[in-house]
Amino acid sequence: MTIDTEALDREAVALDAVWRDSPGVWGWLTAVNHKTIARRYIVTAFLMFIAGGIQAAIMRAQLARPESSIVGPDRYNQLFTSHGTTMMFLFAVPMMTAMGLYFVPLMIGARTVAFPRLNAFGYWTYVVGVVFMYVSVFANMAPDAGWFAYVPLSGPAYSPGHRVDVWAQVVTFTEIAGLVAAVNVIVTTFKLRAPGMSLNRVPLFVWAQLVVAFMIVFAMPLVATGSTLMLAADRAVNTQWFNPAEGGDALLWQHVFWFFGHPEVYIIFLPALGFVTPIVEAFSGRPVFGYTAIVLANITTAFFSFGLWVHHMFATPIPEVGASLFTAASMLIAIPSGVQIFCWIATMWMGRPRLTVAMLFVLGFIFTFVNGGITGVMLASVAFDRQAHDTFFVVAHLHYVLLGGGVLPLFGAFYFWFPKLTGRLLSEPLGKWHFWLFVIGVNVTFFPMHVLGLNGMPRRVYTYASDTGWGPLNLVASIGAVVIAVSVVVFLVNVVRSSRWGAIAGDNPWNAAGLEWSTGSPPPSYSFIHTPRVSGRHPLWETKEALPVVTGLSDRERQVLVTMTFDAVPDYRHTMPSASIWPLYLALCMGVVFIGSIFSPYFVLLGIAISFIGLAGWGWSGTGPRKGERVALPNGAVRSV
Amino acid sequence: MKALRPVENVAELPTVTFGARSLMWWGTLGFMTIEGWTTAVLVVAYVYFRQNFDTWPPAGTPNPRLVIPTINLALMIVSIAPARLAANAGRDLDLARVKRWLYVMCAVCVPILVLRWWELWAINTRWDSNAYGTAAWTIVGFHTSLLLLDVADTIGLTLFYVVREMPAKAFSDTADNSFYWYFTVGIWIPIYLIVYVGPRVA
Repeated sequence: MTIDTEALDREAVALDAVWRDSPGVWGWLTAVNHKTIARRYIVTAFLMFIAGGIQAAIMRAQLARPESSIVGPDRYNQLFTSHGTTMMFLFAVPMMTAMGLYFVPLMIGARTVAFPRLNAFGYWTYVVGVVFMYVSVFANMAPDAGWFAYVPLSGPAYSPGHRVDVWAQVVTFTEIAGLVAAVNVIVTTFKLRAPGMSLNRVPLFVWAQLVVAFMIVFAMPLVATGSTLMLAADRAVNTQWFNPAEGGDALLWQHVFWFFGHPEVYIIFLPALGFVTPIVEAFSGRPVFGYTAIVLANITTAFFSFGLWVHHMFATPIPEVGASLFTAASMLIAIPSGVQIFCWIATMWMGRPRLTVAMLFVLGFIFTFVNGGITGVMLASVAFDRQAHDTFFVVAHLHYVLLGGGVLPLFGAFYFWFPKLTGRLLSEPLGKWHFWLFVIGVNVTFFPMHVLGLNGMPRRVYTYASDTGWGPLNLVASIGAVVIAVSVVVFLVNVVRSSRWGAIAGDNPWNAAGLEWSTGSPPPSYSFIHTPRVSGRHPLWETKEALPVVTGLSDRERQVLVTMTFDAVPDYRHTMPSASIWPLYLALCMGVVFIGSIFSPYFVLLGIAISFIGLAGWGWSGTGPRKGERVALPNGAVRSV
Repeated sequence: MKALRPVENVAELPTVTFGARSLMWWGTLGFMTIEGWTTAVLVVAYVYFRQNFDTWPPAGTPNPRLVIPTINLALMIVSIAPARLAANAGRDLDLARVKRWLYVMCAVCVPILVLRWWELWAINTRWDSNAYGTAAWTIVGFHTSLLLLDVADTIGLTLFYVVREMPAKAFSDTADNSFYWYFTVGIWIPIYLIVYVGPRVA
C-alpha cells in the first residue's frame, strides 16, 4: 500500500517548516542546510575558477610573443603564484568537496550531513581565505614564490614582506575547510546511509568521495603543518625549520609539501571519476561494468598516491634506490586509473550510449586525461624527469591531468546534475558549443607546451628572447587560451539562461538510477519526505513501482535516521542542530588567529580568547533540555528520560 | 515523485546512544585522527633533524629538565581516573555522579594546563636557538593547543551542568569528552618520552 498524496503533502509542509533556512540577512548568515552551504561553496569555487582563469589569460597574453612587456617580472611572479594557488586550493579541492557535500547525502538517502554546523564553519573559513587572498592580490601583496612556495626562496631571508605569509595562511584556511568537510563526508557516509544500503551498495560517486575524504585526513595535515607551524613560524617567530645554519633542512619542506601535494592531485581527480560513473550508467542505460573493480581501484589509487611524492623531487640529491622505488610506484598508479577507464568503456560498449553533453564531457575526459596520464608515466622516469624538470613540459602534463581529469568531468557533472541544483536543464546545443570549444581550446593551449618544454623553455619566466624560436608555439598556446575563455563564457551564458528559462527538468529527466533522482528538482529543504529503503545498487531501476520507505521520523524537529556502519541497519533517531550564527563567528575568529599572526603573535592569543565565546555559544545553543528522549544504554537496554 | 510504500517504522528507535553508535563519537574520532597524525608528522620532523647534528641535543644545548614534565605526566595519568568515572556515570545516566567527577576532572586538568607553561620552558632551549629547539617547542606547543581545547571543553561542559538542565544527549557528550581526554593523555606519553627523556638516552 502506498502513502496517499494528501498525507505526503501534509508531511512535506510540516517538514519544510522545520528544515528550511530562515528568511532575510540573518537567515542567510545562519543557514546550515547542507544544500544551501554546498551551493554557496560551488558558486564561490567557480568564481575562483574564473579568477584563476583571468590570471592565466594575462600570463598567456604576456607570453604570446617574445620580449613582451604587458606585465613585468614582479607582477608575473604574483600572477603565476596566485593562479596556481587559486586553482589548486581555492577552486579544485573546494569544488570537489562541495559536490560531495551537496550530493553525498542525497545519494545515500539522508536529509543532511552528519555535522551541519561544522559544514557551515568550514565554508565560512574557506570564504575568509578567499577574501584574504583577493584583498592581497589587489593590494599588490599577492604571493609570489610559486604555488608550492619552496624554501629558501619563500623563507624570511629571500621573501621579506608579507606575500608568502598570505600564501601560508590562505592554504591553512582552505585546509581547515577541507578537513572538516572530510570528517563530515566520512561520518555521513558511515552513519547516515538509507537502510539497506550496505557498503557494497554504496554509489560509486559516494565511494570516491569517501576515499578522498580519508586521503584529505592524511594529506592535508601535512600542508597545514608545513605552511603554518613551519613556514609561517620561521617567518614570524624565527623558528629554524628550514635554516641549514641552525640544523634546519630546506628539503624537509619539499617532503612535507609533496607528501600532501601528490595525493592532492588525486583528491581532485578521484571525485571527478566519481562523477563519471553515474553519467556513463545513465547514458548507457545499464549498470556500470566492474563495480567492485572500480571501488578497489579507488582505494588502490589512494594508497599509491601517498607513495609517489618523491617523484616531484628527482632533481634533488635523493638516494638512487629511493628514486627507483618512486619511479616504479609512479608507473604503477597508472594501473588502477586504467582499470576504471576500461570499466567505463566496457559499460558503454555493452550499453546503448546516448551522446548528451554530459556524456561528451566524459568522452573528452577519457581522451584528454589519458594523454596527461601518459606524459605522467614519462615523467616518472628519473632520466627523462631531470631533462624536463621545471620546463613547460611539466606545465603541459599537469594541465592535461587537472583539466582533463578534473575539470572536464566536472563540467559533465554540471550538465548531468544541474536539475538537482536549479530544477531546470542546461541547454544541450549551447552545451555542445561549450564542450567542443573547451576540448579544442585545452588541446591547442597545452599540447604545444610539451614541445616548448622539450625545446628547453623553462616554466615561470615572464618573457623570452625572440631568437629562442619559442614565439610561434607560444602564440598558438595563447590562441588556445582565448578559445578556452570563449568556451567558459558560453557555459556561463548557458547557466544564466537555463537557470531562468531552461526546460523544467522534473525529478528524473535522464532516467537515472540513484536516490537523488527520487526526490524533487531541486530537492526540498528536507530532501526526502521519508527515508528510502534500498535493496540494490540502483534503487530507481530496481523499483519500478512504489519506492519502499521508512517512516516514523519526527516532523517537528530536524530528525535523521542513523544506521549501522557496515550493513546500514536502522539504529537510532538523531536530532540535528538548527541554524546558528556561531559557525560564522568562529570562522571569523580563525581569521583573527591566522591573518593576525602575520602581523603579531598577540593576535593569535586574541583570536583564541574570542573563540571561546564562540565555542560556548555553539555548545549552549545545542543543549537545551528535552523531554521524551529514549536512551540506548551500553548494556542494550533502552530507557525513557 | 515516485509513489512511496512504507515498509518499516522507526518511531520506537532510541534518540540517544553512546560510543561508536553515536555521530559525535565518530566526529571526535575523526579529529583525533587528524590531530594524532599531525603530531606524528612533527615527531618525524624532529627525528629527521637528528641527522643534521653530531650530538643530540646539539652541542651547547642543555638536556631538557625532567622534574616538572614528570610531575605533569603523573598528573595526566591520574586524571584518567576521574575521566573514566565521569564517562561511566554518563553511561549510567547518573547526573549527580557525572557532576561530581566532572568537578574532579576540572580540578585535575587546570593544574595540568598551568604546569604546561613551565613544561615548555623545561625543554631548556628556545624555539629559535636551533632546529632541535624548534621541533621540540612545536611538538609540545601543538599538544598544548589540544590540551587547551580539551580543558576548555571539560570546563564548559561542567559549567553547563551547573547552570542549566541538560538534555540526555549530554550524558553521551560527557563520555565523548572523556574519550578525547584519553587521547590527549595517550599521545602525550610518547611525546614526553621523545622530547624530554629521548635526548638523555640518545
